Amino acid sequence: MNILVELLRAALPVLYFATVWSYAKAFFRDSVTAKRAKTPLLTSTLVLHLIYLLLRTELFNHPPITTIFEIMSIIAFSIAGAYAFIEFITKVKNTGYFILNLAFIFQTLSSCFIVSLSQVNPVLRSHLLGIHVSSALLGYAAIAISAVYGFLYLMLYHHIKSSQFGVIYEKLPNLETLERMSMMSIVFGFCFLTVAIGVGLFWLPRAFEHFSYFDPKLIGTVFIWAMYGLGIVAKRTVGWQGRKIMVLSIIGFAVALFSLTIINVYFSGFHKFY
Amino acid sequence: MMNLIAVGINHRTAPLEVREKLWMSDEEIRKAVAELREKFFAECFIVSTCNRTELYGLYREKRDAEIHTPADIDALKDFLVDAKGAGGTVTREHLYSMASTNAVNHLFKVASGIDSMVIGDVQILSQIKDGFNIASEQKAAGPFLHRLLQSTYHVGKRTRSETTIAEGAVSVSYAAVELANKIFSDLTKKSALLIGAGETGELTAKHLVGRGIGELLVANRTKGKAEALVASLGGKAVDFEALLPTLARVDIVVSSVTVDGYLLTKGEIGKAIKERSHKPLFLIDLGVPRNIDPEVNKIENVFLYDLDGIARIIDQNLQKRKSEIPRVSQIILEELTEFSNWHSSLQVSPTIHDLRAHFEQVRQEEVEKNINRFSGEDRELLELVTKRIINKLLHLPTTNLKNGSDESEEEKHRKLHIVRSLFGLQKSKGGPA
Repeated sequence: MNILVELLRAALPVLYFATVWSYAKAFFRDSVTAKRAKTPLLTSTLVLHLIYLLLRTELFNHPPITTIFEIMSIIAFSIAGAYAFIEFITKVKNTGYFILNLAFIFQTLSSCFIVSLSQVNPVLRSHLLGIHVSSALLGYAAIAISAVYGFLYLMLYHHIKSSQFGVIYEKLPNLETLERMSMMSIVFGFCFLTVAIGVGLFWLPRAFEHFSYFDPKLIGTVFIWAMYGLGIVAKRTVGWQGRKIMVLSIIGFAVALFSLTIINVYFSGFHKFY
Repeated sequence: MMNLIAVGINHRTAPLEVREKLWMSDEEIRKAVAELREKFFAECFIVSTCNRTELYGLYREKRDAEIHTPADIDALKDFLVDAKGAGGTVTREHLYSMASTNAVNHLFKVASGIDSMVIGDVQILSQIKDGFNIASEQKAAGPFLHRLLQSTYHVGKRTRSETTIAEGAVSVSYAAVELANKIFSDLTKKSALLIGAGETGELTAKHLVGRGIGELLVANRTKGKAEALVASLGGKAVDFEALLPTLARVDIVVSSVTVDGYLLTKGEIGKAIKERSHKPLFLIDLGVPRNIDPEVNKIENVFLYDLDGIARIIDQNLQKRKSEIPRVSQIILEELTEFSNWHSSLQVSPTIHDLRAHFEQVRQEEVEKNINRFSGEDRELLELVTKRIINKLLHLPTTNLKNGSDESEEEKHRKLHIVRSLFGLQKSKGGPA
């Protein structure tokens, strides 16, 4: 089993690269072969990635959420999975290159630096923690996707406004579709973050005797959650449209990145394991 | 060498005021085809559009392309000119001619759209089809033309499915609708307002209706004109004075009126966009001088395009279409080779060769299946007898095919076509590769 896990660890960055490459060839070069191959390639990569995560869980007797590089693999899987879901729902297949690049980067970092821990903090073996972390990561993956769609929206918006009719204008779906895809990701992200915060608030005070509502990561996540929540409400009530809501999705992602990296690395709290 | 000739006039050889003199209605084509068949050809058809009038004919008697004499060609040119009584305006120099494979190559180029005034024109294929249908009605389309037209459609279809020669709008009205599709995902849920009843504006509105626009409103200073337009396109006429309140409830505005100063200012559009909760608004200004203040484009979620902006997208699309010409030429070459192979197979020798090969194959298969039922010495006899049967069976058809030299090309083609179809000799084994 160990050999298989190692093999998949090495293969996954290659598979993600091949997937990104085929999406890029389909987008920029209109390659018919790439157009046919890209979705099956993504599906196969996702299946193998899932097998890899399950094998790791089985082999090391804990879900792969105990180190930052295990988390990165889950983030890569969440981004690619969420994108595949959105592609399946919307049938818009030519934005994958922009999204899957993120999955490729996260998985490559993970595969290069991941270590195998058999001894972990017992609190990290809890099922509730599994739900808490998985939903938080799915939420962040959805937010990342929403930001990419927001960015694509702003690019196309600028190109249409300034009469530039290059590859961006030609290949991207229309503005309304990009906005819809970004909004769909925001709503998914918000729902998953709600679950993550809900489970966290129920479980964390019981699991940690030094629990504090002023934990920087908790504050950061609640802030991001509130920001997206307000965005959804503003869209429904005040009628925020197009550019404004897309800018919000990008700012939200920047804050999320800040929360995941800077706060996690430089601020201390009970909520920090690695 | 095939016995086909093409004579015609197009945008490269004559200006509009000359080539329009040779434009033919369906009725005129019918009459001309009947006359051409009577005087010159076994099979023929005519294609006539605003940019070209061309006749294609297969001579009744056997000729080689090399012996299409200048007198033959002049007779056909004169026929076209006289058929339209255009002698004063159209001269022989305005018309071109092509023979044999060159004529087929030309027809394929026309069908693919690379010979059109606007490269990638999609209408030409249906216009060729119309010409062919008239020829069929007049019984002027035989096996040769059927096969030629089949290959021509194939060229047209392949160029449209395998290349992007016909993609991207190249007219103002289509380009405007294409832009709308880049902003909105579903035009059936959108509404459009047409201000003025200019020709381009009307065409744009027509394309929007063709794409299923949810609602079309028309405002014109003369309300009667707006009502007349609405009667033909569908939609609703609105008062020209009620223009500003209407702006807030539409997603697309097409303006083409003649006014001094701007009809719609930045302030008015700014107010409208607030009223519509900042939902995207697409403004198409087709007026000269411009109807909408260009500053309007600075307002968030407002997209303004004037004639220059639309011209940029058209130029770019035309460049892209031009870059597809080498791929289209390759398709034409492939289809031309296939057509030439088919034509060669209609010659007597390859058909006899294929027919004999087919019978020999059947003989060999049957002998192989039953060989074990015969003793060693009988096997040789079996070979001999079966070969003799095949030779006897094929003797008369072979002689008849060879003796057809005094038949017309049409009859010969028909006969060979029937033989090939009956025995399933669709691809020549003996003809050139």
